[in-house]
Amino acid sequence: MNHSLITTEILVILLGLGVLLADLWIRPESRPALGWLAASLLGCILALSLGALTPHDGSAFGGMYVLDGLARYFKGFFLLAGILVILMTVEFRHRLPVGLSEFFALTLFALAGMLFAASANDFILMFVSLELITVTFFVLNSFQRARLPSLEAGVKYLILGGVASAFMIFGIALIFGSANTTNFSLVAAQQAQLAANPVFLTGLMLVLVGLGFKIAAFPFHLWAPDVYQGSPAPATAFLSVGSKAAGFVLLLRVLFGAVPQITSQWQVLLMVTAAITILYGSLCALPQRNFKRLLGYSSIANAGYLLLGVAAESRTGSSAVLYYLGGYFFTVLAIFTVLCSLSSTIDNDEISALNGLGRRSPFLAAALSIGLVSLAGIPPMVGFFGKFQLLAAVLEAARLAPAFYVLLGVAVVGVVLSLYYYFNVIRAMYWGDAPAGVSLIEVSAPARIALLVCLAGVLYLGIAPGGLLRLADGAVAGLKFSPAHAPSVVTAAH
Amino acid sequence: MDAHVAHTAVEAVKAVGDSGTKLQDLAWAVLFFPLVCALGTLLFARKDRMLAVGFNIGGVVLSFLLSFVLFAVYGGQRIDCTPFQWLPLEGLNATMGLHLDGLTTVMLLVVTGVASLVMIFSTGYMKDDPGYCRFFMTLSLFVFSMLGIVLADNLVMLFVFWELVGVSSYLLIGFWHEKPSAGDACKKAFLTNRIGDFGFMLGILLVWAACGTVNIGGIELAIAKDPHVLGATASLAGLLIFMGAMGKSAQFPLHIWLPDAMEGPTPVSALIHAATMVAAGVYMLCRLFVLYTVPAAWPASLDFLGGLNAATVISWIGGFTALLAALIAIQQNDIKRILAYSTLSQLGYMVMAVGLGAGLATPNPSAGMYHLVTHAAFKALLFLGAGAVIHACHHEQDIWKMGGLREKMPWTFATFGVGTLALVGCPLFAGFYSKDAIFATALESNPVLFGLAVAIACMTTFYMCRLVIVTFFGSARTESADHAHEVAGSMKWPLVALAVPSLMIAWLPLGDFLAGHFDAHYHSHGGDVLFGPFNHNALAAFFGLFAFMLGVSAAFAVYWGRSKDPLPAKLGQLSRAMRNKFYFDEIYEAIVVPVHDAAAAVADWLDRWVIGGLGVRGVTGVADFAGRALRLVQTGSIQTYTFLFAAGVVVVALLALK
Repeated sequence: MNHSLITTEILVILLGLGVLLADLWIRPESRPALGWLAASLLGCILALSLGALTPHDGSAFGGMYVLDGLARYFKGFFLLAGILVILMTVEFRHRLPVGLSEFFALTLFALAGMLFAASANDFILMFVSLELITVTFFVLNSFQRARLPSLEAGVKYLILGGVASAFMIFGIALIFGSANTTNFSLVAAQQAQLAANPVFLTGLMLVLVGLGFKIAAFPFHLWAPDVYQGSPAPATAFLSVGSKAAGFVLLLRVLFGAVPQITSQWQVLLMVTAAITILYGSLCALPQRNFKRLLGYSSIANAGYLLLGVAAESRTGSSAVLYYLGGYFFTVLAIFTVLCSLSSTIDNDEISALNGLGRRSPFLAAALSIGLVSLAGIPPMVGFFGKFQLLAAVLEAARLAPAFYVLLGVAVVGVVLSLYYYFNVIRAMYWGDAPAGVSLIEVSAPARIALLVCLAGVLYLGIAPGGLLRLADGAVAGLKFSPAHAPSVVTAAH
Repeated sequence: MDAHVAHTAVEAVKAVGDSGTKLQDLAWAVLFFPLVCALGTLLFARKDRMLAVGFNIGGVVLSFLLSFVLFAVYGGQRIDCTPFQWLPLEGLNATMGLHLDGLTTVMLLVVTGVASLVMIFSTGYMKDDPGYCRFFMTLSLFVFSMLGIVLADNLVMLFVFWELVGVSSYLLIGFWHEKPSAGDACKKAFLTNRIGDFGFMLGILLVWAACGTVNIGGIELAIAKDPHVLGATASLAGLLIFMGAMGKSAQFPLHIWLPDAMEGPTPVSALIHAATMVAAGVYMLCRLFVLYTVPAAWPASLDFLGGLNAATVISWIGGFTALLAALIAIQQNDIKRILAYSTLSQLGYMVMAVGLGAGLATPNPSAGMYHLVTHAAFKALLFLGAGAVIHACHHEQDIWKMGGLREKMPWTFATFGVGTLALVGCPLFAGFYSKDAIFATALESNPVLFGLAVAIACMTTFYMCRLVIVTFFGSARTESADHAHEVAGSMKWPLVALAVPSLMIAWLPLGDFLAGHFDAHYHSHGGDVLFGPFNHNALAAFFGLFAFMLGVSAAFAVYWGRSKDPLPAKLGQLSRAMRNKFYFDEIYEAIVVPVHDAAAAVADWLDRWVIGGLGVRGVTGVADFAGRALRLVQTGSIQTYTFLFAAGVVVVALLALK
């Protein structure tokens, strides 16, 4: 047993508890400072976790928990996201009249759940860490208790999340019943027999349903627009970055760690899901007037793009998923940081509220534009290179299964549609008339720093993608891809 | 010839091989000085007249001096300057490289020399114009583009600068853009040129496809190796390339833009229509002359053209243009338009000479090139002289409203006289020698065109003497002509400076130099340069002299002492047709405009209903409708969501477990 592997998680949980305790003694005015402190301590944990805290890879708790390249990649990702979300929350405090410290603490607990998810090598740990994330988000989403939409978002997430969890735990029960284990590695060892076992397949399918809910893939995406629209902006940001990434890391671990052979039989299912998710998200985003709801649909469409890399079932595809998530992280956080900075002056989330932002705050407008342009996948932003990597993986897969060309076409249609709805927002900012009697918008120093970090990430990773790409490629080295796709899959695709 | 071309190309390749900064890289400076000056004016001297003038004249004069250095050092040597990679595409590999040889250095001197004098003249002529600095900046830009054409070592680069000349001439012709006629004229020039350029581009593509390179040295090498390398498209490629020259050098049927382009300021006319832009076509033909030395060949579908050579077509088009323009010039009354048609006619001459040169025993286009150089000097002089006259007569351009300017503007009269004598081919003056070279070429190559050339020379003398007699002799016929006085020094001295080469340039062995460039085995006919024509081909020289004398005596007989043109009464309908430019503009309007309108209407319909309606609006409509329809699924009702979630599980289960 090697308990020292979970030092990072323990430190994050302790930090969360510390924040809760500290809140008992400090004055309400200094709560933002508490956020600063938490963010900087998280920064220290991030710096340490990269090397000193957990220098060696390994597994713990009977193989339930692993620390490998993939886990390290995502742990870094989640910690950085946690820091930025806490900074964002400080910026958003005007809309959170009570319980700012609790918001910090809950964010840290959700972060701990994500950290565990990154290392989960067992269906049970997977479920527990996902529940830790989901349950904290029930609270985070409905944090603005006085606002009805926020409460509504929380309730919807609660009920649908509950349904998804129910399916998942039922699936895990079936898996345990048929495989007699819940450990990924042990399942992988006997997948040849299990592949023909309908009980196991049903269980696996239900687990994937639960993960589909986390990443907002069709047809389990229905919660996303309502919850994105109603939740407080920092919670939405964390949901779309952290929670989605947690879903994807688990998806990769299950599909390519536990059951790569069965996955290759389900390639068509993954392709269909990816295609419909892209089209659904893009089409629904077209008529949106509410910016946060638009981002909800955009997040569905992006889940679809990420599924392209999963459906490719190759090392290129999986490393493209990791790279895309890295770029998506900076892009989305930049957009939500702008929303949080606007929260003190603009009191609704309609796109029309952004009219004339180009003149009211050139910096925020430029930052938001860069974020949106990156989401739309235009060079030299990171969004372009991420999509490029995913499509390259799809093209590579198309050599074996020509049906992937259809997927490529769908992705291109989705990108074209996305140009329309993202640029609609940019048009409002620069060509829309500002409402009469509004003033310039001040941007606080922390928001400025967070934005500059995000924009630097968006531009740097877009121009010099090599570093992150190598990192992502190294991270997926442990995954197993079924060497040859079953020919039946190819014919079934036609 | 072939062996010589091979030698050239080998040398060219060698020169590219051993790179390193050398004296020949000064050519880059020659090219870029004017551009730097134009940019400098744009950035720093948009308001400061002195600075703008200093910048731009300084830049062009420096270019001239450097060209002179290059000419003095290298003479007729063929040298390639260090190139740099531009488009390293597979199979194209266009470099940015400059090429120097006898032809290009002479052309460099012509372009920069005339441009310098025109700019100096402009300081006086444009004195009161509000767009003074812009004018000089655009002139510099124009010179830069023109030098690019001269120096380019490959067709892609040549084409880029070719288009740049088109753009900068557009800016110059439309310089007084507030005048609707200037706006129309610059559009007309640009569009007409574009038609030619399109053919030019197709020609470049054909040559590239056949030779596998766009480097001119490489093309010469390929053709030297195998004269049939261009295959069945040899004549077609030659004619398509010639289309470019047809646009820039205003050959029939694309000649219509040049007379209208007189809407630009007169110095612009002097620069564009004497020494540079219109000469570009002829220069390009000479530069790519190797394409016209190959045997005629046509694709199977055009087999009926048989052995028709591209060069033959070119010489006939040139001859026809020359005749047409000379006839029109006889009955024009606007001083600038007479000169414009005279330019057209002389350009036709040069093109004809290049075409005829390909028919010689040893193909050699140097007669056309020689005439280009002398023409550049005396036509620039004539245009600037006309500018001085117009300036002095308060922008009056009708020669019948002038008269008697001889005493009032003695300097202008004297220099204009030199220019006229040079143009009409008076012995001792430059034009006599270059025209004689053309006559000799024609006599050897095509006797019919020789007859035509002599007739045109006769007409040229007639209309130019008419112009001089009506403008400078007799008595002033209007008040503005009566009050005319000599122009200021800044305008006078450039005239004098141009009068010198108009008289004396042929006293240098320039013709032999150019002929030697195209034919390494060429040797001079010996004897004194001044009497060279009579030694070389006495028949041609005597016909030239005869045409000159006939024209002069006819003009004096008709126009001496007249205050009204007697010809309209005598010639009747013919005179009216000449005055109306044989109704080309009207014919084009009647044919081209309806066809164009019909095509535009069809394109508009397609764009509006098929592309816009079905394509764009159809697709956006479907997408929008789908979006709105799908939105209905998001009812917000949690019962619906849960139901759909469960239904989704069932669907996935069916798909996964089938």
